[in-house]
Order: sequence, then structure tokens, then C-alpha cells
Amino acid sequence: MSKKDDGLTGLERYLLEEIGVEFKACIYFFCYLFFYSIYKLVGGSTDASIIHMAEMIFLTYGMCYLQIYLMNGFDEGEEFRVKEILLSMLCGLIYTTASWFFGWFDKNLTVTIGFFLFVIFAYFCGFLVYKIRRTLESKALNNDLKAFKERGNVNE
Amino acid sequence: MKYTINNISTGEDEVIVNYLRMTPEIERIVNFIKGEQTKLIGWKDKEQKLIDIKTILYIETVDGNTFAYTEEEVLKLDYTLAQLEQLLNDINFFRCSKSMIINIDKVDSLRSLPSNRIDARMVNGEHIIISRTYASDFRRILRKGAQNE
Repeated sequence: MSKKDDGLTGLERYLLEEIGVEFKACIYFFCYLFFYSIYKLVGGSTDASIIHMAEMIFLTYGMCYLQIYLMNGFDEGEEFRVKEILLSMLCGLIYTTASWFFGWFDKNLTVTIGFFLFVIFAYFCGFLVYKIRRTLESKALNNDLKAFKERGNVNE
Repeated sequence: MKYTINNISTGEDEVIVNYLRMTPEIERIVNFIKGEQTKLIGWKDKEQKLIDIKTILYIETVDGNTFAYTEEEVLKLDYTLAQLEQLLNDINFFRCSKSMIINIDKVDSLRSLPSNRIDARMVNGEHIIISRTYASDFRRILRKGAQNE
């Protein structure tokens, strides 16, 4: 079904997609902030840089646009196979390069490699969360459909 | 169309419909009088056919033409989708996209899809996507029961 067939106006479609992007960006931002916070805590610091956090949120926001419009929302797909792994590696590489450039992990190579693996893991977790959610929704939908038919008011 | 209304002093209320050829308009009047809609007029190979609504899987508009799909055949209808939506509102048909109405009774199973869409598998195995615009209404209808409740 084409996008124009969804009965939405251009503005409504934009808002819906924008909300989706922002929701996704928030989830991934919190994942990367968690990794960053653990790095800081392990290093004996309880301070987090506001600049680093701003960089993370803007980068995550931009990356979520890339994911949705150029990578077909691969983390929301039905499968997580070669194509999805390669795309998450590509995204991981972009995040890792940015982290190195912005100095989130003080250009520590081991931590940066760890961050790269964490990004891929975060995508896999995102995929699982979306999949579990859809499975539960499908179950609820089929229960509702069955109950709807059992009411005996179908085509009577 | 000519019509006559008589105010009678004795006897029973009665409606008589005289027609030369059954048209959608006449059909609507008859169905309105009967208080039900059980059949539609369709066309197949230039032949007029009556189609039982219960057998319709879904109705679709393609290039301005409206078609009803059953498990056995496809019939062209002389209605717009908006007219049909109104006509079939009391029974369990649901507008699932800009160009399609499905018979909920003929949905075999449902599957939640990304972007809040729903994949409806019909009893004949066909898959119909309920767009995200209509998906929340569809969920509500399933939970609440008949569409007019």
C-alpha cells in the first residue's frame, strides 16, 4: 500500500513520522547514555558532560532519520539477518567514529570498540523489543477478533 | 422516478414498489423497506448478478471502478466506496484503507505489523493491509463489538 493510500494529509503523515523518529531517538539515546554513564562511573567520575549528551541526542536523532528513510527501519523488521547485521554495523561505525571525534570516551580504543559492539547489541535488543511487542499485539488482536465473532452479531 | 403517497383511513400500511429493471436505487429502497441489506447487484461479463453480502471478502476501488471479491468470483459494482461504506455500515464491514472495505467476518487471522499497521489474512489466504490511519478504529471496533454500538 502506498503512503498516499493511508488517508493522511501531508502534515499528519509528517507528524506521525516525526513522533516515531523522536520516540526511537529517545530509546537509543538512553542506551548510549547508559554506556557513557557506566564508562564515567568505572573511571571514578560522577559527572557527565552536557555537551556530550547534546552531541549524543542530536546524532541519535539524525541517525534515526537515516534508519527510517534510508535503511527501511531495519530494527523494526521481521528478521535480524545478514542485511540487518550489516546495517547495524554501519550505524555502529558511524556512532563509533562520532564518539572518537567528539571524545566521549577520551579516545580510549578498547572502550570505543566496546561501544561499537554495544551499539550493535542495542539494535538487536531494539529488534527484539519491537518483535515481542508485535507478537503480543497480534495475540490480543486475534483474541479480540474471536470474541467479536463469538458475539454472534457478524453479518446478521 | 414517480411515486404516489396515499393516506388511507382503513386497512394496513402497505408499500408497493413497481419497477421495470432492478437498479441500485430501487434496490436501496427495497432494502430500506425490508430494514436489511442482504444482496448487492454486480456485473460479471456484462451480465447482471445478485451477490450475497455474506459471501463478499472485500470490496476494492481500482481506477474509479468498484469491485466485490468473493472466494469464487469478482464482480463490478455500480456503487462508490463511500456509498457502500454507508450501506454496509450496520453489518460488519470495515473501511480498512482509502480504497478498500473488508468483511470482518471473513478475516481468518490478524498480525500486527511495524508502523502500527495490521495484516488481515482472509479466509481464502489473501493478505490485506489495514493502514495505520484505520488500524486504531479497527482495534476499537473489535473490542467494542458491532460498529454502531
